[in-house]
Amino acid sequence: MVDGFRPADLQEALEFRARHPSIPIAGGTDLMVQKARGFGLKPDFNKPLLFIGHLRKLRQISVRDGNIHIGAGVLLSELIINDKISEALKMAVRQMASPPSRNLATIGGNICNASPAGDTLPYLYAVDAKLILKSVSSERIIHIGKFITDPKQNTLEHDELLTEIIIPNKIFNVSYYKKVGQRKGMSLTKASFQGLADIKNSNVLDIRIAFGSVAPIIVRSREIEASIIGKPVSEINAAVPEILKKYATLIRPIDDARSSAAYRKRVSLRLLEDFLSKLS
Amino acid sequence: MKNCISKPINRVDAPAKISGKAKYIGDIHFENQLFAKTVRSARAKAKIVSIKTPTLPDDYYIIDKNDIPGINRMRTVVSDHPIFAEDEVNYIGQPILLVVGPEREKIYEIVSQIKIKYKDEAAIYNLEEAEVKKAVFTEYSYSKGEPKATFQHAERIIEDEYRTGRQEHIYLEPQGITGDYKDGCMYIYGSLQCPFYIEGAIQDVLGWDSDRIRIIQSTTGGAFGGKEEFPSLMACQVAVASIKTKRPVKMIYDRDEDIICSTKRHPSIVRYKAGLNKNNEVVALDIDIKFDAGAYSELSPVVLQRGMFSATGVYNFPNLKVRGRNFMTNNVPSGAFRGFGAPQTIFSTEMLMHNIAVKLGTNPLDYKIRHLLKRGYPTCTSGKIRDEVKLPEIIEKVEKMSWYRRKIGKHKKFKGVGLSLFLHGCGFTGKGEATIKGKIILKKNGDTVTLKVSSVEMGQGAETCLRKIVAHTLSLPMKKVICETIDTGLIPNSGPTVASRTIMIVGGLLRQASLELKDRWNDANEIEISKTYKHPDFLSWDDDKFEGDAYPTYSWGTNVAEIEIDPVTYEIDVKKITAVYDVGVPIDEKTLEGQIQGGIVQGIGWATIEVMNSPKGKLTQHNLTDYKIPTSMDVPEIECEFIENPYEFGPFGAKCAGELPFVGAPPAVAAAVSNAMSVPIRNIPITPEYLMELDKHED
Ligand SMILES: Cc1cc2nc3c(=O)[nH]c(=O)nc-3n(C[C@H](O)[C@H](O)[C@H](O)COP(=O)(O)OP(=O)(O)OC[C@H]3O[C@@H](n4cnc5c(N)ncnc54)[C@H](O)[C@@H]3O)c2cc1C
Repeated sequence: MVDGFRPADLQEALEFRARHPSIPIAGGTDLMVQKARGFGLKPDFNKPLLFIGHLRKLRQISVRDGNIHIGAGVLLSELIINDKISEALKMAVRQMASPPSRNLATIGGNICNASPAGDTLPYLYAVDAKLILKSVSSERIIHIGKFITDPKQNTLEHDELLTEIIIPNKIFNVSYYKKVGQRKGMSLTKASFQGLADIKNSNVLDIRIAFGSVAPIIVRSREIEASIIGKPVSEINAAVPEILKKYATLIRPIDDARSSAAYRKRVSLRLLEDFLSKLS
Repeated sequence: MKNCISKPINRVDAPAKISGKAKYIGDIHFENQLFAKTVRSARAKAKIVSIKTPTLPDDYYIIDKNDIPGINRMRTVVSDHPIFAEDEVNYIGQPILLVVGPEREKIYEIVSQIKIKYKDEAAIYNLEEAEVKKAVFTEYSYSKGEPKATFQHAERIIEDEYRTGRQEHIYLEPQGITGDYKDGCMYIYGSLQCPFYIEGAIQDVLGWDSDRIRIIQSTTGGAFGGKEEFPSLMACQVAVASIKTKRPVKMIYDRDEDIICSTKRHPSIVRYKAGLNKNNEVVALDIDIKFDAGAYSELSPVVLQRGMFSATGVYNFPNLKVRGRNFMTNNVPSGAFRGFGAPQTIFSTEMLMHNIAVKLGTNPLDYKIRHLLKRGYPTCTSGKIRDEVKLPEIIEKVEKMSWYRRKIGKHKKFKGVGLSLFLHGCGFTGKGEATIKGKIILKKNGDTVTLKVSSVEMGQGAETCLRKIVAHTLSLPMKKVICETIDTGLIPNSGPTVASRTIMIVGGLLRQASLELKDRWNDANEIEISKTYKHPDFLSWDDDKFEGDAYPTYSWGTNVAEIEIDPVTYEIDVKKITAVYDVGVPIDEKTLEGQIQGGIVQGIGWATIEVMNSPKGKLTQHNLTDYKIPTSMDVPEIECEFIENPYEFGPFGAKCAGELPFVGAPPAVAAAVSNAMSVPIRNIPITPEYLMELDKHED
């Protein structure tokens, strides 16, 4: 058994994936923490590591058919300075971890780690991001909401890698993001909120709402969004109590070492209310 | 005009630390070294029924209570903490035994095979339960004036209760110690504050005289009190292990282990009954202080004393009754932490005064000013304030710098300004200095002077400032004045590096010795001068009645905090702290500003984000993912100034300064939050969760 493999290119990586049970490691900022065993001890990896952070093919950001394609190995620090990336996503990424960690951490790692506190996720859910999953012999494209199934669970096959994230070509003229952490930097999310809207002639043409860290997976409801779409902004105020009530049933946070369920729930609804109040 | 000693110089320890050349205990390799890992109690309170250990491979050892030749207790104020558990455990994390050997992986494997059977017993998890069960370690009280009669005639009586939380030091370098038994002598190396405390502890445990024991400090990456008593425990463990294995034994904690088992700041509950006269001034005060000492008493009695003697803050309450109790719980032991009991009571009293003022509809600062101590007034323990109290100048200055009065007048929701006034008693409490009798040696050899003290550099700048005091007195360049290595075989006992005593007491002795050396400079090529601390005759202290001068003198200060609260999430954003201090004369303004910035930020952390709960004796926040201290992004703008007020017995007029900056920030921030939200604040940390609850009735 090998301890680790550093492929020359994506093809080699996928071939290795096909032949060996393996753990892909990009920046390792999740893995190395999760697998740490203590001072002076080797981390606890039960399968060989496949290093993918250096693969050129995974580190590109391009526009195809108007959609933005982000390589899974793109660093968080690269997202912040790339002009193809929307301000809304940059806003979330800027508040993640710390400058040194952002120079290691990748967007693909954040997605595959599938934590409800993953900070790129509310945005990616809100914009209906799609993922390209590749193996030596196949390629599939899947909505992010279908990929992440539970905390720490995704539908990645043992021979696949996440290679690209596709952000659909769509403009939102209102964006609202808030991360609530224990402090201003280097803090995991207690609760987060992503709101996006397309308002024209005082009408809601489109609206997207996603909550992070307040349920096993990111909370988004097309149904509730659909009930707001088409409304003139002047009618939103009156609809707020009803909208809050609907989301309240979906937001099911927990008590943990960092916050309380009661706070997480209240703050999520307050953020939603604040976002809605800014539409009119 | 500013004193010339205050002009900043570069820190002498900075180049080695910045370049990475400094050697911490983890960097030092000892020939043939073994590593040690502690097996700890998994139960809050239990009898140990049995311990099953696997057959050990060659070169691997188990060290436990049976290996201790002397007393199985760690020597400190109350020597009650077993080096290794005997037949019972009293907190989760209590050390039971060590596994020692050459390979860490193998050690962990052995640890995982050790099976301990416990029989659980009823545990006490918090102060409330401890009070019901009367689990009291120490109870003290003192009084002044006629509290009983004054309460009877009071116009108005206000009762209130305040709470402060547990806090972990998070020194940058976790605890680490190595013991090396060689040629019949015990050498202890490590990250530590108090070399002679460890020497004493080793004496008890080995039953040896001190001449066979040497404690040598390695570069120490922060301590804050966390390396005051705790390293003694580790040192005793590795000493015993080194004797058994005849090899150096190194024990270094990673962060999680360090947090689980090291001492914490005492959680507190302080209850007040305040009697007001017809002018609404507090003329009688009854203070009931409760500290959670955790599972063992250790040095908690002295922490409680400082808490009790600081409980009246900068105020003169003519009629006073103070009771203090340390409670036994089955939590990780509480211990020394910057401020040493005073931050808890000063926070509570500052907030009491603030909340009474708000209740009465007066400006908190004006209300506080009506109660201030002045020169000649009695202290809370009926000692005397002998030196000038420059609080009026301090307040005037902070008012000019911060526009506090104007800002508090223009009140807007979610934006607040708060002010704290505070003091810190300089040096050891009560008889402490008179008992320790710190000793220093100054040695001239040609054109070089070596100073021998047991005060350690641990990041606070002690080495720079002590050398500076000698260099300035003798008009020598800094490089001609050097510090002897911290090695108990080479230095006299000038006392521990605690209680903000290093500059005032040890620096004071060095100043005296330097002045004498200056006179005798040309007498010989080699001159050695030693000095021993003598407590000034005019100070008196009755340790039974708690009457007299608890401290030789005091340092003073004020903080104004400006904060904003996110109206949606209730997160507190501390924007600015304006601070003015009287620390006598600053020995080095830059080093002092470092202490001030660090102290303020640590205080803000304690007041806002540092949550450490222990619901069933188990810490909920036991790693740096969950326990958060402020980062550079959380540091507010800090503006600070000094009011000079030279102290006759301090070197160049210096008083104490190390702990003082911690004390002031929490009540200033809490007062600002109270101002922003129009609610009384009684508990810290003020988390957004807590604030949202307080503000609930609003929507
Ligand atoms: C100090 C610190 C602060 C942090 N702060 C934040 C924060 O504020 N917000 C936040 O969301 N996260 C935070 N994190 C978590 C982490 O940094 C992010 O989740 C990061 O994006 C993970 O990326 P990575 O490349 O390091 O992932 P890795 O650790 O390399 O991998 C994470 C998981 O994804 C899998 N994986 C990675 N790439 C692929 C791929 N291309 N195909 C298939 N599987 C893959 C791995 O096998 C692993 O299971 C923090 C971490 C640390 C250490």
